[in-house]
Order: sequence, then structure tokens, then C-alpha cells
Amino acid sequence: MDNTTIITIIIFIVAFPIIMTPIILYSSRVSDKLRNILAVATSAIAFLLTLSLYPTIAGGGVVQHKLFEILPNLEISLRLDLLSFCLAALASFIWFLCTVYSIDYMAKEHATSRYYPVLIFTLGSCQGIFFAGDLFSLFVFFELMSLIAYILIIHEETEEALKAGYKYLVMTIIGGLAIFFGIIIVFELGGTVSLGVGEIIHESSLLAFLAFICFLIGFGMKAGMFPLHVWLPDAHPVAPSPASALLSGVMLKTGAYGIVRVIFYVFSPDLLQSSGWDHVLSVLAVITILLGSAVALTQTDIKRRLAYSSISQLGYVLLGLSILNSNAVIGAVFHIFSHAFMKSTLFLAAGAIIWKTGKRQIADLKGIGRQMPVTMGCFSIAALAMIGIPPLNGFLSKWTLALGALDANMPLYVFVLLVSSLLNALYYLPIIIPAYFELPDGSNYDLHSHDKLHFTIAEASPRMLSAMIILALCTIIFGLTPNNIVYTLSRLTAAFLLHGGGL
Amino acid sequence: MFASAPEHIAKVSQLYYSSLPLWIILLPILIGIGTYFLKNCWETVRKACALIASLIALVGVIMLFPLALTGTVCYDLIHVMQMGLFFEVDLISWIFAFLIALVWFLATLFSFTYMDHEHNRRRYYSYLIITLGATLGVVMAGDFFTLFLFFELMTLSSYVLVIHEQGYEAMKAGTLYIYLGIAGGLSLLFAIMLLYSATGSVDIAPVLGQLGEQRTIIYILFLIGFGIKAGLVPLHIWLPLAHPVAPSPASALLSGIMIKAGAYGILRVSLILFSSPEGVSVAETSYLFMIGNALMWIGLVTMLAGAIMALLNSNMKRILAYSSVSQIGYIATGLGVATFMGLEGAMGFAGALYHIINHAFFKAGLFMMVGTIYLYTHELELSRLGGMLRKMPLVAITFIIAACGIAGIPGFNGYPSKTLVHDSLLIAIKYNDLFSIELAEKIFILTSALTICYFIKLFRGIFLGPVPEKLDRSYKLSPSINIVLSSFAVIIIVIGIFPNLILERILVPAAELLNYAGYGMDHLYHFKFFEWAPLEAMLIVVVLTLVIYLPGVYRRWFDWKPPWWLSIHTLIYQPLTHWLIDLTGRAGVLVDSSVDNAYNRSGVVARAWCSFIGTLDSGLDRFYEKSGIMARTLADRSSDIDSRIDEFYEKSGEIARKLADRSSDIDSKIDDFYERSGEMARKLADRSSDMDSALNAAYLKTGKAAQNLARQTADLDQAISNVYDQAGKKTRDQMEKRLADQKGKKVRGDSSKWTTKHLSFDNLLLVLVLGIVLLVIFYYGRFN
Repeated sequence: MDNTTIITIIIFIVAFPIIMTPIILYSSRVSDKLRNILAVATSAIAFLLTLSLYPTIAGGGVVQHKLFEILPNLEISLRLDLLSFCLAALASFIWFLCTVYSIDYMAKEHATSRYYPVLIFTLGSCQGIFFAGDLFSLFVFFELMSLIAYILIIHEETEEALKAGYKYLVMTIIGGLAIFFGIIIVFELGGTVSLGVGEIIHESSLLAFLAFICFLIGFGMKAGMFPLHVWLPDAHPVAPSPASALLSGVMLKTGAYGIVRVIFYVFSPDLLQSSGWDHVLSVLAVITILLGSAVALTQTDIKRRLAYSSISQLGYVLLGLSILNSNAVIGAVFHIFSHAFMKSTLFLAAGAIIWKTGKRQIADLKGIGRQMPVTMGCFSIAALAMIGIPPLNGFLSKWTLALGALDANMPLYVFVLLVSSLLNALYYLPIIIPAYFELPDGSNYDLHSHDKLHFTIAEASPRMLSAMIILALCTIIFGLTPNNIVYTLSRLTAAFLLHGGGL
Repeated sequence: MFASAPEHIAKVSQLYYSSLPLWIILLPILIGIGTYFLKNCWETVRKACALIASLIALVGVIMLFPLALTGTVCYDLIHVMQMGLFFEVDLISWIFAFLIALVWFLATLFSFTYMDHEHNRRRYYSYLIITLGATLGVVMAGDFFTLFLFFELMTLSSYVLVIHEQGYEAMKAGTLYIYLGIAGGLSLLFAIMLLYSATGSVDIAPVLGQLGEQRTIIYILFLIGFGIKAGLVPLHIWLPLAHPVAPSPASALLSGIMIKAGAYGILRVSLILFSSPEGVSVAETSYLFMIGNALMWIGLVTMLAGAIMALLNSNMKRILAYSSVSQIGYIATGLGVATFMGLEGAMGFAGALYHIINHAFFKAGLFMMVGTIYLYTHELELSRLGGMLRKMPLVAITFIIAACGIAGIPGFNGYPSKTLVHDSLLIAIKYNDLFSIELAEKIFILTSALTICYFIKLFRGIFLGPVPEKLDRSYKLSPSINIVLSSFAVIIIVIGIFPNLILERILVPAAELLNYAGYGMDHLYHFKFFEWAPLEAMLIVVVLTLVIYLPGVYRRWFDWKPPWWLSIHTLIYQPLTHWLIDLTGRAGVLVDSSVDNAYNRSGVVARAWCSFIGTLDSGLDRFYEKSGIMARTLADRSSDIDSRIDEFYEKSGEIARKLADRSSDIDSKIDDFYERSGEMARKLADRSSDMDSALNAAYLKTGKAAQNLARQTADLDQAISNVYDQAGKKTRDQMEKRLADQKGKKVRGDSSKWTTKHLSFDNLLLVLVLGIVLLVIFYYGRFN
């Protein structure tokens, strides 16, 4: 493919969902079915088009293209490299599955004609973030996505949701302003904000540090980094489950993606390490990991527990990014994938349980594994992956991260990871074990009446199940298989980031 | 990735590349998963699947024997899980694998009868076979990464076996089991990661020299990881809870086989990982001595504590579980001795390995025997059992055989392995004349005596004494149970009678793998079990048993229930875990909520400020408004005043005008007045001039009158002077007459005699007229 084709495809990937938004909105007046088909088709097309960029990437290609200039040196541009491809492919893949899942899940919900257009629009802006060629366009799409996602969060329109949404909105705006400030500083110091330059800031200075902190605040806020995570455990659980899955599985990653871009393209790993700024990130990451796990332990609502778990897991990614050696960055990128698969599965499974039974409290989930064996099976696989049981993908990312920490001669980080794993076990196993091996409260089943123990299997709809099963299979496949495309991509990405494309 | 064989093996033997180990592991796992999806009613098919899977494993392992004896069987799956999986079966692995496969096969057979009265058999069989694959995977793993994978899988799948009953007890025990299992797994993972970072590989190879400073922490982490599974004190707490609650065949496997996975790990770490291919240096020797000593003492404490706890319990499965703890102590002791003896450690190694083999048979057998009794009586408490000797003679006989085995009675299989471990202690004393090792030997003897004690207790409780009424019926054991129990008894006796068979065929080649040399190896090679020296030790044990048991029974020592504060579980683990989890949760929530609060507060504060500023603003607004109003009012007022002033001015003007008017009026009046007064004045003047002229005329008249008067007066005066001259001549004539009379009288001067009567009228008239004249003169004199 020549550059023009690639650029057209990229523009199409970003613009197509956004263009489709009003069409989907109006199609819901014609029929719900048409709307659903359009939504699924849009996300599927976005995914397929993203995949079509693979040959370019596999050939080691980097495309940086300026669309137009707003001000001198301030442009809207596109960029395609390994990192953006990885995240865009991941995002559109999970988006596609969640859209499929949504069809049945949202059938019970109100205001669906608002939900789908917003969902698709968010996809477009999310892809825009990943394909942005400079910080300014990244910022524009970032803000666009953040603001639109508000509508997904408050979908239920309960008081709780509105409150959480308000918190989200306020923090998003603060984060956006911080990023904007950072961009201004970078522009002032380096004269450009393009990601094609390599490193924009070469010397450490107070202003540069300020920019780093600003980016950390802005992107860290999105990634749920301590102490900016407070919106997350409120906002993620109140959204409809497919939206929660996307929020936790994909949208959090935009924050991590932003931090990667900042570390490797605005600053450079050498600069961060020589000036010691990476310690800011690593300390915050360690606190994030431990805090998220510890608080998840105390939650009784299943989705809240998952949300806190997300905080802790994103801490892994940030930790990997702060260590900044080969293994750690591989681990961080791979964990972005792993966590997307695992957490989306978990949220979708939890959503299926809520959809089917209306139970949200963990104490009520006893015996659910017998009623919904497939859903709970997917949940268990993903949860075990979270704990880090081999051969699932969570283990692999933890292993790689730990090796990175040990390469950096920081066994303490490994300890933190393992403590977090133990805590993961402590808060996931009490969901899984009673789900299979205990009986619902107040039931009149008798365990020992031989084979009389008969639960009626009441599973979620096939579409929902298929989304969950595909994601759960991903957690197994991308842990076990020798031809692990995701791991290879992570390794290439890490090499690309650290050595500028050492393929 | 790890296809190359470690040097220490390549030196001794050939390398066979075969996928057989993979299939031995994978087939049971796959069949197990498949079995789960069989229909509930296909009982026979399910049993057949289970049996076939365990048979496949057994046959496969047996097929590996010639290869393992002469070399190493390797197989690798490069890139699976990125690190690659690597399988390697040497003789040590094979011994474990064979044990596992054999006992599993027997346990599966036993399950057929035992599980018939249990619920949820589908899940049981399926997980039973999966666990078989996982356990085989642990021992056949060629590197620690693979080992860890199967170790975790084994923990998870055996959890399902532990909680099979799903009662309260089972769930509680299972919870402890799985959390400790996962904690152990993480500890293991940490150790493996440190190992990898230190040496760059996860091979099970002698790398002591490369480990550097972290070797102690690596060893401790390995020991915790494997020790939890093996049940070393103080990590054993899950074992006496979990083993008894599982169904008996599963208990047999847990106690007989799965704890050996932990022992296997400790063996690999202590004897292979912590050694050097080209001999150890002096510093390393002393380091290994320290490590080995520590392991030995952990083993001794484990063995003693397990035996004591077994003695004090009265639940027969729990006695056996504690007995497992105790026996693992023997194995750990043997491994410890082997570790610190270095190249001379052949005895300890052989003893430990031998005991692993023997323990698998007798403990699995014992659990199944006890399980058989439970199956038919549904009783586990010794106090409610008794007299089973007559009811189930076969079980009683096999039980005696197995008990003799575990007690170490010569002729049964426990004897050779215990003897070897004991002998290794004796050799250790010979080499290192330390009190601690002598003490260790004494503890060993004591524990062996206690072992016999609790088995006498167990045997008496189950088989002797009167049969409880409830259980007084005839029992018919199913043939599969008979077969299984008998085969255990046969194995125990065969090994006991021909102990050198295994020693020479298997243990010595295994020891050769580890490059043992010197006296220990020599001794091992020519070891005679039925000599006086080992038998004497056994005799001491038996005598000591009698010394302990007889008074113990008499004084009821064995009924003593240890108080709660002696329980390491309630004393340390429970509070510690509760406290830790509670603290973690609380600290997390505290930080989280305080951050959240900080945000909310700052929001509230900001809002308060904003509202304050708003109030200020509105106050200002109001102030302006008010001041406006005031200004307006003021303006109004001032305009009012203005108008009033205006009015006032107007009025005053008016007044002034009026005044002016008036004043002009007055003026005119005054004018008038003046005019008038002028006029009057003129008139007056006129009049006065009139008067003047009149006066003038009057004066003129008066003057004329006065002139007239004056002429008249002058006439009068002439007239009067004539009168006076006449009156004067007459008066002088009268005076001369009178003077002549007076001369005549001479007393005229006498006045006293003068009175009014004397006055003559003449005189009076004269005076009057004089006055009038004077008055008239005066009057006219004044006017003129």
C-alpha cells in the first residue's frame, strides 16, 4: 500500500464512525433492528480496516502525515506506527464485541437510540486518539472522547449515575486542561508538538518537569492513576455493562497510551531516567496497584470491585512504563492487551449476570455458576488470569513485568506485583468459589440428595455469550499459544519505542 | 528455548527426545475435561474414562522406565507461553511419576465403589483425572517455569477434590487450602523470577555459584512455596483440615501423592539447584551446611509436631493427616542431611526418596482402609468405632500391614527407608561431631516411637474392643476395594521383605545422577538392612514405644486436648491473616476515601467560596442597588428639598415681592407720609410763618401795647412819684408830730408793746397797694 491509501484508510477509520453517528441516530426512527445492524457494521468495518493496516506495520512502516496547519507549527496530523496500530486494533476489536453484546443487553434498557450513536461516536474519537500524529490532535480527540463518554456513563440517569457522571466530567475537564497546559509548555520549549519528531524536549528544566507533571495529571487521570482515580470506581459501575467493559477495557488505555507517547515522544526514556522523573510515575504506580487491590477487597458490589481492580491493573501498566527497560515495556504493552481482554470479559460476564438475575451484590451470587455456567466460566477464566494463574495471559504479562523489574534490579516491584496478585486472589476467589460450590441463600436444594441437585440453566443470550467466550478465549490463547501475535506485537512495539524501530 | 540438556545429566547418560511425557500429562487433562461434558447418566462411560486415563498414565510411565534408567527423556514446546515448556524425565522424576500413576490408578479403582454414594460424581472424576495430569506435569517438568504452571494447575484442580463434600467444614478447609496454595504459588513464582534474573534461565540445574547474594532469599521462597504443599511445620495448617474432609480416595491422593509434589520441589531445589556442577567451594560448603541444617531441623520439628498432634487426635482421618505431616518431616530430614553432607549425602537422599515411595503406598493405603470403614459405618471418631476386626477382617489385616509399614517394623516397607534416614543421621554425626545432630537422632527415635503409639491407638480404636450397637451388622466389601487394599498390602510386604530390590535397581542409579561419592555412596551400595545395627535401632524404638504407650494409656495422656493457644492456626495464622487483610482493606479504603473526600471537600470548599463570592457579589449588587435606591431617594429628597427650597425661594420671592410690594407700599406711604409730612410741614411752616407773622404782628402789637403801657406806666410813675412826694411830706409831718408825741412819751422804741391791734388800717392799705404795684412792674418787666 502506498502512503495515500494508508492515509485515506486512517482518515476513514476515524471519520467513518463519526459520520455514521447521525445516520444511526436517524435510523433508530426507522427500526431498532436497522440501527443495531448499522452500529455493529460500523464497528466491524472499523476493526477490519484497522486490521488492513497490518501489512504496513509488519513491514516496519511508520506513516506521519500532516493534514493541515491551524497555526504555524500547530497542525492536525495523522500517525501510524506499531503502538497506534496495536491500540487501535485492540480498541476496535473490543468495541465490536461490546456492540454485539449491547444488542441484547440494551434491549432491556431505555434511551437506546441515544446509546448507540454515542457508542459509535466514542469509537471514532477513540481511534482518533490512537491515530493522532501530534499532541494537539491527540488532545482534541481525547477531549472529544472524554466528553462523549459522559453520556455513556450517565446512561441510567439515576441519581447515583448523575453524581458519578458529574465527578467524571469535572475531573475530565481538569485533566484536559492539564494536558492543554502541558502542550503549551512543550510547544513553547520545543516549538512543535508533532509526534514525528522523536523527542521534543531534550533538556530537563523546571518548565519541562511541569509539562511532564501536567501530562501525568491529564493522562493519569484517564488511566485511573492514584490520586486521580476517584472518578473511576464511581463512573465505571454505573454505566451499562458493555459501556463499563469499554470504559475499563479500552478507554482507560487511552490514558496509558498518552503516557507512552509522552514518555517516548515528548521526552525520552534517557531524559526521564537521568532526571529521575520516572520515580514520580513509579511511586504513583506502586501506590495505585496496592490501593486498587486493597480497596477492591472491601467492595461488595461486583462491578465496583471490578472497577477497583481496573485501577490496580492499570497500575501494572504504569509501573512497567516507569521501569523503562525492554522487558518492562513489553510487559506494559502486553498488559494493556491482557487487561483489555480480561476486564472486558469480567465486565461483560458481570453484566450478563445482572442482566439475567439483577444481582449485583457478591453475597447474592452464590450458586450462580450452576445457573449460568458459561457466563461464570468466562468470568472464572478471566479472574484466574487476573490472579496470574498460568497459562493465561495475565500470568504472562505479570511474568514479563516482573522480569523487567528484576532487570532494573528492583525486586520490590516484583513483591508489589505478587502481593497484588495475592490480593487479586483474595477478592476474585470469593466470587468464583461460592458461585460454583455454594448454594443460594434460602434455597431448598440438598447437596447430598445425589443427583437431585438440579439447577435450571438460565444463560444469557447467545450474542452476549459469544462476545464473552471470544474474549475469554483470547485470555487463554494469548497466554498459551506459541504463535502469540499479541505478545509479538508487544515485543516489537517495545523494541520500536526503546530503540526507534529495531525490527 | 531450553532444549539443551543440563550438563550434569548429559555427563552421565543419554538424551532421548520423546513426546511421551507430554502425552502422559496432556491425555489425562484432556480426558478429564472431556469427561466433565459427559451426560450425568453415563456413569459407566465416565468410570471407564477415568480408568483409561489413569491406565494411560501408568502405562506411559512404565514405558518411560528403560529410557529413564539409562538417560533422560526430554521434550520441549518452544514458545508456548513465550518462555517455552520443557519436559524432562530423569530417574528421580520417573520414580515420582511412577508412584503417582500407580497410586492414582489404585485410587481411581477404589473410587468406583467409594464414590457411588457421593453426589456430583461427574465433577469428581473429571477433576481427579485433571489433577493426575497436573501432578505428573509437576514431576516431569524440565524447568521451574513448567513446574510452576503445573503446580498451580494442581492446586486449583485439587481444590475441587478437597471441597467435594461442600459442607461448612469442607468449604472452610478448602478456602484455607486454596489461599495458602496460591500464596505458596506466588512465593514460588517470586523465587523462580529471582532465579531467572540471577542466572538467565529457569532450568533445574546446579547454579549455586551464579545465584549471588540472593541465594538465601531464593531458597527461603522456594522452601515456602514447596513447603506449603508438602505440609512442613509451620506451613502445614491446611493439611489436617483439608485431607480429612476430602472423599477418602482423594484424601489418599492428597496425603500419599500430592504432598510429595512439594517434597519433589524441595528435593530439586536443595539437591540440584543449590549445588555446583564442578564441586562446591569451602564457602559454599558451609553455606550448604547452614541450609541443610535448617531444612533438617524444619523436618525434625515437623516430624515431632505431626506425631504429637496425631497422638492427641481422635478423628481417624485427621490422625492420618497429621501422620502425613510427621512423615513429610522424615523426608525433609533426609533431604536436609543430604544437603549439608554435600557429596556424602547419598544416604540422606536415598532415605528421603525411599521414604517418599514407601509413604505413598502405606499412607494412600491407610486412607483407603479408613475410607472403607467410613464408607460402611459413616463414622470417623475413634470413640464411636470398635470391633471392626471381626466385621471387616481384610481391612484389619491390610491395616496392620500398612501400620507396620509406617511404624518401621522390619519386614514391612517403612523399615528400610527409616533405617536409611536414620543411618544418614549417624553418618552425619560421624562427619560432624555436633550435639545438634545427635539431638536430631534422638528426636528421630522418639518420633518413630510416637508413630507406633498413635497407630496402636488407631488400631485399637477401630478394630478392637466391642462393636457399637449401631454398627453391629455384617458388611460385605466390594471386590474392587478388596483388590485395591490387598494390592497395597502386597506392595508393602514385598518392599519390606526385599528392600534391596528398590535400593539397588532405582535408588542407587538415582543417587548416581547427583554425583554422590565417597563413603556414603559406598555404604549405600552395600547396605544390609537385616543386620544387627539397624535392627537394634528399631528395637530401641519398640522399647521406647512401650515405655511411652503403656503409661500413656493408663494415665490417659492421649486424650489430652491441647488448649487453643497452642494451636499455631488460631494463635498466629488466623489473627495474622485477619489482621493483615483487615488492615490492607482498611488502609486502602482509608486512603481511597480520604483522597475522594479531599476532592469532594475541595469541591465543597470551592463551591463554598464560589457561593461566598456569589453572596459577596450579590451583596455588592444589593449594595449598589440599595445605594442606588438611596441615591435615588436622596436625589428624590434633594429634589424634594430643592423643590421645597425652590418653593421656599419662590415663596420667599413672593414674600419678598409682597414685602417689596408692601415696602413700596410703605415706601409710597412713607413717601406719602413724607409728602404729607412735607405738606404738613409746609402747612406747618405756612402756618408757623402765618403764626410768625401773626406773632410778629402780635409782637408788633405787643410792642405798641408795651410802648403804650410804658408811657402809661411812666405817667403812672409820675403820678405815683407825685403821690409819694405828697405821701412823703404828709408822712414827714406825721413823723415830726409822732416824734414830737414820742418825745412826748419817750418809750416809742419798745416793740414788745407792738401788736396787730396797734396796726392801723392805714398801714395795711399802704402795703397792699405797694405789692400790687411791684407785681405789675415785675410782670411787665418779664414780657418785655
